[in-house]
Amino acid sequence: MHTSWNRRDFLRRSSAATIAALAAGAPITSFLSSCASKKINSSADTVILLWMAGGMSHTDTFDPKKFTPFSKGMMANDVLSTFKSAPTALDGVYFSKGLDSIGKIMDKGTLIRSYVAADMGHILHSRHQYHWHTCYKPPQSVTAPHIGSWIAKELGPVNPVIPAFVNIGQRFTLGEGEELKAFHTAGFLGNEFGPFLIPDPSSGLESVKPPIGMSIGRFEKRNQLYNELMSNSAIGEFGSDYQKESLRRSMEQAYILLKSPEAAAFDLNNEPRESYDVYNTGKFGLGCLMARRLAEKGARFISVTTEYEPFKNWDTHDNGHTRLIDMKKQIDGPIARLIKDLERSGHLDRTLVILASEFSRDMMVEGRPELKVQEQVNQPDIIQDIKNYGMHRHFTDGGSILLFGGGIKKGNVYGKTAEERPCKTIEKPIMIDQIHQTIYHALGIAQDTHYLVEKRPFYTTPDGLGKCELELFA
Amino acid sequence: MKISTTKLFPGKKAIIVISMIGIICLLQLTFSGFVQSPSATANASNSFWLWKFFGRLHPLAVHFPLALLLFAAILELATIKKFSSALRPGINLLVITGVIAAIFSAVFGLLLSKEGDYGKDLLGLHQWIGIATILLGTITWLLLNKILVTKNESLVKYYRGMLFFCAAGLSITGHFGASLTHGKDYLSATLPWSADYTGTKAGDFNVASFKNDTTRLTKQQEAELNVAVRAILAHNCYKCHSAEKIKGDLRLDRKDMIFKGGENGPVVIPGNAGESEIFRRITLPANHKDAMPSKGKKLADADIAVINFWIQKGAPWTEGVEKSIFRVAELQPRNPILPLTAENLSNPIDKWTNQYFIKNKIAWPQVVDDRTFLRRVSLDLIGMLPKQEEVETFTKDNRPDKRSLWIRQLLNRQDDYATHWLSFWNDALRNDYTGTGYITEGRFNITDWLYKSIRSNKPYDQFVKELISPTKASKGFIEGIKWRGVVNASQRTEMQAAQNISQVFLGLNLKCTSCHNSFISDWKLSDAYAFANIFADSSLEINRCDKPTGKYTNARMLWKELGSIDSSSKKSTKMAQLAVNITKPANGRLYRTIVNRIWAQVMGRGIVEPVDAMDNEPWSQDLLDWMAFNFQQNKSDIKELLYLITTSSTYQMTSVGFKDPNKIISQDYKFTGMLRKRMSAEQFADAAGTIIGPLFYDSMVMYKPSHKIGDHPFARASLVVNNSFLTALGRPNRETVSTGRESQANLLQALELTNGERFNSMISKGAKKWQKKYVTSDRIIKEIYRQALGRDAQPKEYLVAKKLLGDTPATDSIQDLFWSVMLLPEFQIIY
Repeated sequence: MHTSWNRRDFLRRSSAATIAALAAGAPITSFLSSCASKKINSSADTVILLWMAGGMSHTDTFDPKKFTPFSKGMMANDVLSTFKSAPTALDGVYFSKGLDSIGKIMDKGTLIRSYVAADMGHILHSRHQYHWHTCYKPPQSVTAPHIGSWIAKELGPVNPVIPAFVNIGQRFTLGEGEELKAFHTAGFLGNEFGPFLIPDPSSGLESVKPPIGMSIGRFEKRNQLYNELMSNSAIGEFGSDYQKESLRRSMEQAYILLKSPEAAAFDLNNEPRESYDVYNTGKFGLGCLMARRLAEKGARFISVTTEYEPFKNWDTHDNGHTRLIDMKKQIDGPIARLIKDLERSGHLDRTLVILASEFSRDMMVEGRPELKVQEQVNQPDIIQDIKNYGMHRHFTDGGSILLFGGGIKKGNVYGKTAEERPCKTIEKPIMIDQIHQTIYHALGIAQDTHYLVEKRPFYTTPDGLGKCELELFA
Repeated sequence: MKISTTKLFPGKKAIIVISMIGIICLLQLTFSGFVQSPSATANASNSFWLWKFFGRLHPLAVHFPLALLLFAAILELATIKKFSSALRPGINLLVITGVIAAIFSAVFGLLLSKEGDYGKDLLGLHQWIGIATILLGTITWLLLNKILVTKNESLVKYYRGMLFFCAAGLSITGHFGASLTHGKDYLSATLPWSADYTGTKAGDFNVASFKNDTTRLTKQQEAELNVAVRAILAHNCYKCHSAEKIKGDLRLDRKDMIFKGGENGPVVIPGNAGESEIFRRITLPANHKDAMPSKGKKLADADIAVINFWIQKGAPWTEGVEKSIFRVAELQPRNPILPLTAENLSNPIDKWTNQYFIKNKIAWPQVVDDRTFLRRVSLDLIGMLPKQEEVETFTKDNRPDKRSLWIRQLLNRQDDYATHWLSFWNDALRNDYTGTGYITEGRFNITDWLYKSIRSNKPYDQFVKELISPTKASKGFIEGIKWRGVVNASQRTEMQAAQNISQVFLGLNLKCTSCHNSFISDWKLSDAYAFANIFADSSLEINRCDKPTGKYTNARMLWKELGSIDSSSKKSTKMAQLAVNITKPANGRLYRTIVNRIWAQVMGRGIVEPVDAMDNEPWSQDLLDWMAFNFQQNKSDIKELLYLITTSSTYQMTSVGFKDPNKIISQDYKFTGMLRKRMSAEQFADAAGTIIGPLFYDSMVMYKPSHKIGDHPFARASLVVNNSFLTALGRPNRETVSTGRESQANLLQALELTNGERFNSMISKGAKKWQKKYVTSDRIIKEIYRQALGRDAQPKEYLVAKKLLGDTPATDSIQDLFWSVMLLPEFQIIY
């Protein structure tokens, strides 16, 4: 166990860091002790996480069961799916109606139908989201890093002028905003690896261009002034201090980013009309567009969310059926187009796209069939009103995940849930630490990657036990 | 023997002239104070660029004399029998060019020494041996010249002797020089027997020091060997072979168990490593099915050597109480007698520093000037830049004790002081206005109690008591954060209380110990539960790694010397007992921990580091103990502690910077003065507010004391809700205890400052105000330099700024000037 970095580690790291620094990377010196391990071959450089925030029901999306149309007086317990099924590009594999475009590209990826979320008692969305994104159950005695921060820390940016971890579409001013903040962080890895937040993709450009109202000419002049004052200031007084150095480097990096042609990737107005229109189903769709543009220009980890807001979007405590019609419209076209665009530009091979949600939903079961928890939605046994027709309870024992690109097997279905209620996982259950390690594996990050925090090893997955599911790879 | 001369050789006069010039340069540089780098003042650091350029040629130039003179020496050896060999002219040329190159590189070296933050000891050695070598070289050269001119053969042996000495001297100088650049362990770290070669450090035990296998070990050596062996076992084997987990029926954490062996019989055959199963297993190739450790890395060769040696020596195991394999700090307070000092040092801290400096051969650096001092101490005590008027009044103040008087004055600004230290305590007590837990009433805010406690300078023991045995207003700390749902057993609120109290007040890490027996200390799972039971109505079931064990323990202190807890009484009684016990004067650890934290806050680094690991070795045990003891005796008065520290010359010395941040946390760190600190998010925002205008307004203030807070035209950042600006600049989300801010800048922060809406609109508004107020460019340049950096613009800076502003400054240009000045490290660093 290293108690601190020794010089050799430092030099070895520095040489790698120098390459990044040449392209204006910030100085990557760290107080953390790393326990690096042997390298594994990567099959992906970039990850795009499409986050279905709020709990996406599997039986009404990617794992449909028997359809029961709405009728007054129907038995709630009879309802497994509120949509018809539609065929996909894969023989014998059906999606819930409304996801047809994604269905057509299923030959390009893998469908996991056996995700099992954690049991954490009385359900709170943000706790499960925290768990999904960090692989640790809150609270923790140290601040656990987001998976995007782990990746940013281990691999750095692909293109040094594009922040390694970009988070698109989530505002933190909504309900449970504080809880969301708790995991949108690099935690002990340090702010440097935190998310670059773009709450609204249509104004994403503002985050990466000179301040509003400042011309490029003035921006350049201002920076020149700064550099001249810096070189003429009594700064020699501070010698070559690491703090001074890190300030200088970070400013340089920000300047290069804000001025770089790559910043145009954040500008959705540059997108051809036809393509823009396909993506423009709302904030999420445009987020997919930005993700694609960033991935093509060299981003490392991008998260695009449908946005979590209590009782909105996928958080269907009522009107589940009606609201899902709209949710599907939001995601179907943009996601299919995203995959096709990436494929066309040749980026899909090295870009891993994941669609996931913190847990699933069911009409009857809150939690797990064997371990029900305190109910939060009043579901009448006999449905009279359409508002009660839908998957309104939080279900943790099954769920769907989509994977595309980045070395993932094509046209594959993994795992299975029961055809009858409870529609729980019955084959190949897969848990969050396996999902994380599978992502890390694709990126070439070893299973035992960890840091000593207050002398305790803190692994990418708890105790370093997350196992990569090799079967998912081609 | 015929001695031939060569035309290439310059005459005696030329030799003397060149040497004299070189030596005069050397002496001039050496004694002009030019090389006293760490304390270099502004005049030295603003040296002419060409000197800097030459200085940086040193690492390049040094290779010439080294190569030339070494080669000359080798050739001299090769031709030792015949002075006038055919190689003669070549050797002569090598010597002369070598010596000239040596003189030049030494001059460059002295120029370079003022630039970097090199360790003084090593630099001194390098410098003086280098200069001595050059003198040798010059003498060598003179001798050689004399031989060639006078053909006096009797001088040959002197010349050769000198040349060899010179070559040796160069090698030594070169070695120290390389150590300066690459670090002392650059070479040795790659050697298989180096401690750095492996991850595990087998204590300080060195097998190689026992070359003779037949020697009997002394009791002392046996004990050391035993600790080394146990450390190796603990790091590599305990996970599966200790009370925690007993694989293969084998335990390696107790003497009797080790010698009993496992399911396959004994594992250690004293005196015969070859026959010992343990030795066989740890030496197998990693992929062998019997190889140990079966999980984790193969043992380092050095560790295997220790085990081998231990078994060969009969596997000695000392009788009686086993020495801990971890460093454990004393619990008891200690009041070391102040050292007598010849110097006129009245502040006790300075007496300790003086003793430390003498011991470590460090010269007292200069005390900083008034301006630097006032800026530093204002930021450190009240978190704000001094106003321009204050700087002027202070510099004009003639009272000899004005620094102490002003420190007192700053400490008396109760609200400014409380607002500043609120951030420190909010981080440590993970108190915030918003955050997780509040949504389900699983968390309580203690700001009102905290602010008032800091403002009234509540004695620290009382402060701790009120947090541990709380009122409604202060219960938020031990109540922890409760999320909805089921949490890991090690994170239930009682365990959070045990962990947080240990970390914050005792500098002790109980986090590991909340799940299992610690691998990094002697603390056991049951100790953590016993401590947590104090905060529970009834004893908690011990969970090991979140699995119930069916076992329970009573409630007790971590150190029984500090008193007992009545397990059967109710929670509030137990907490009251804990509050009394933990604040006893006998608990030296409590007082050392806070003194060390306050020290780290103002000095940039703790006497013990990390500040949460108080079992680590302090760089001065005496200083720490003395301060802690006297702090406790002096009513645990934090303001008085701050007064004592900031009035010391130790605090007021020139600040120190490091190129490599790892050196700061290294355990062989040497104290040479206050470390430069980056302004915290709050200090930066408040400084901006002082000069340009508010980043935050009263309407954003989350906590308003009933009285008016100071008289600032801006809302102080510690009182507002966390936001993207403060987050980017390093204010933590206070979900967990946080006892130090990040010291390095990063891209997200730079982006926030470069194009962030909040900062840019603030300076834009400020620019308009300044345009009205100061009107002319000259005035604006003068004021921004004075107000932000506390000095006048230098001519070059003035020209650069003037070029931008022109004669009649536009608001845009003023704004850009503000931005540039505020982003200078000189502004953002507390030096």
